[in-house]
Amino acid sequence: MTVKRTAHRMLGVLPVVAVALLLPCSARAQAMVCKPNYDYSVEVDGSFPKNATLYQSTTPGMYFIDVPTCKTGLLMDMKARKVVAVPRDLVKTVDGGLQLSDTVPPAAAAYALAVDGPMVQFQAEDKKVRILRCLDRPPIVGAVDLDALVTDRPEYREGMKAYSPDPASIATMGKYAKRVQIDAFFATWCPHCKEYMPKFLRVMSEAKNPNIKLNLYGVPKGFTQAPGPWQGRNINSIPTIIVKVDGREITRMASQPGAEPEKELAGIFDAVK
Amino acid sequence: MDATPGARPYQQTPRTVSWRRAAGHLGRVALGIVFLAAGFLKGLDPAEFVHQVAAYGLIGMRLSGVAAPALIVLEIVLGVTLVAGVRPLLTGLASILLLLMFIGIEAYGIAAGRTEACGCFGAYVQRTPAQVIGEDLLFVGLAILAIAGLRGWAGTRPGRAAAVLVAAIVLSGAFVVASPSLPIDDYVTRLRAGRTLADLDLATRLPELLRGRHLIALIDVTDPRAAEIASALDALASRPGAPVVVGLTPATEQEIDAFRWTVVPAFEVKSVDRVVIKRLYRRLPRFFVLDSGRVMAVYDGAPPEAGDLLSSEAS
Repeated sequence: MTVKRTAHRMLGVLPVVAVALLLPCSARAQAMVCKPNYDYSVEVDGSFPKNATLYQSTTPGMYFIDVPTCKTGLLMDMKARKVVAVPRDLVKTVDGGLQLSDTVPPAAAAYALAVDGPMVQFQAEDKKVRILRCLDRPPIVGAVDLDALVTDRPEYREGMKAYSPDPASIATMGKYAKRVQIDAFFATWCPHCKEYMPKFLRVMSEAKNPNIKLNLYGVPKGFTQAPGPWQGRNINSIPTIIVKVDGREITRMASQPGAEPEKELAGIFDAVK
Repeated sequence: MDATPGARPYQQTPRTVSWRRAAGHLGRVALGIVFLAAGFLKGLDPAEFVHQVAAYGLIGMRLSGVAAPALIVLEIVLGVTLVAGVRPLLTGLASILLLLMFIGIEAYGIAAGRTEACGCFGAYVQRTPAQVIGEDLLFVGLAILAIAGLRGWAGTRPGRAAAVLVAAIVLSGAFVVASPSLPIDDYVTRLRAGRTLADLDLATRLPELLRGRHLIALIDVTDPRAAEIASALDALASRPGAPVVVGLTPATEQEIDAFRWTVVPAFEVKSVDRVVIKRLYRRLPRFFVLDSGRVMAVYDGAPPEAGDLLSSEAS
């Protein structure tokens, strides 16, 4: 009787044990999800290809690098200090990111990486790849078109997508009848500009008012000493947004934490009627 | 003998003398208190004052490491001697010279495009160089008042004056040396239990910290001990039910990247403007538990033990 009961208990426990044994396997088989991180730029052979992107995994120290001209995807393991070539058929696009299958072939090519201060570099296939902060890219200097700016700088493009301006303020801006000229002096190397300018640019593109003309000027490092359109305009910090109504300078805007440029502009337009 | 008919020679009446002297004493004591306050507040965080002196770019970091503590001692000694009435003419003149030096440095700072706080009253009182010049001119006025008003007054007896001077030098020197180790961080920084993220001036900068439970690590990512701290924080973060760990640092983005790529922490590290983050610590590292944007507990020097985290959760 006791033996039978024990046998029954054992049989009852078996499925639980089987599930418990399988659990680690299923956990390992879970795909790795990666989200794009536009704070970093991917330099390939000295240039910055438009769609070359660094993706950050939920696993600490793991990054996926998509270089469109590479045959494979590149999985960067910072703890193991290596980059593994991942066949593209193991990478799926999911909502706002990528999903990597955990079954990378054991014979996949691996490349050694080197950390050089704030940069990571390695040679994959025949390409020299560097991962660097987007602020460390060579800056855009001088007058620049909005389209050219957002094409060249994913951090601005994606920052614009992420911002939702206040619709009432946009409506106020859209209806403003006076002639407005806005001169925006900013720097692609400046962290405050990286926070503020995408919001400001989203606002300007949403306003869709032909009376509002936007001029964008990228400034170099040490701009107070360098010649350019920023000189003689009393610009001491960046970003500086000079707002002119009917040719007369009304005010200047600057970045601040939690800034809402559309509300500030709508307020200016309400005041200058 | 006055040649003008009817003119009377000017004579100081005892009443004018007493008013003049009272004004002189007022100037002397007021200026003394100002110097004492300035020296004491700087002495609360001598390392930060070294940093501020070096930031002017007039002398290097090594020389600033000597000049800054010496300046703190000088101000406290000057303050004590002024209040105690030691050699009023000499201390008044020394005050004017020191203030003129400060004005000159600030004017140089403005000319060089400097806009940040001077650190004249320590790291926790922020004023612009232009405000400082205005204040210093006012203090020069107090010094002139003291010198003019106390003409003919010898001050404290020489024996007592020497004792005051020696005591002031010894005590202020000891204060500057011991200050970093004194357990006064809760009183001299903004960070203490019960404060909100808005009190710390971080609510608009880091709104994601307003919700949920976080362990915030104020760290210097360039410190060689940062790897060890990151390892301890990783271990804490991996425990079930542990708060989300976030590192905040006054370091640059480049320094953070160098740390991120070499140490590979399991938590996020963010750069916060030095002016903002410096109000939260005297020495790094410092840690605090944040629950729904409110500081629950603060830990100095090392990350909290897992048990402490559980107890802070319970409270």
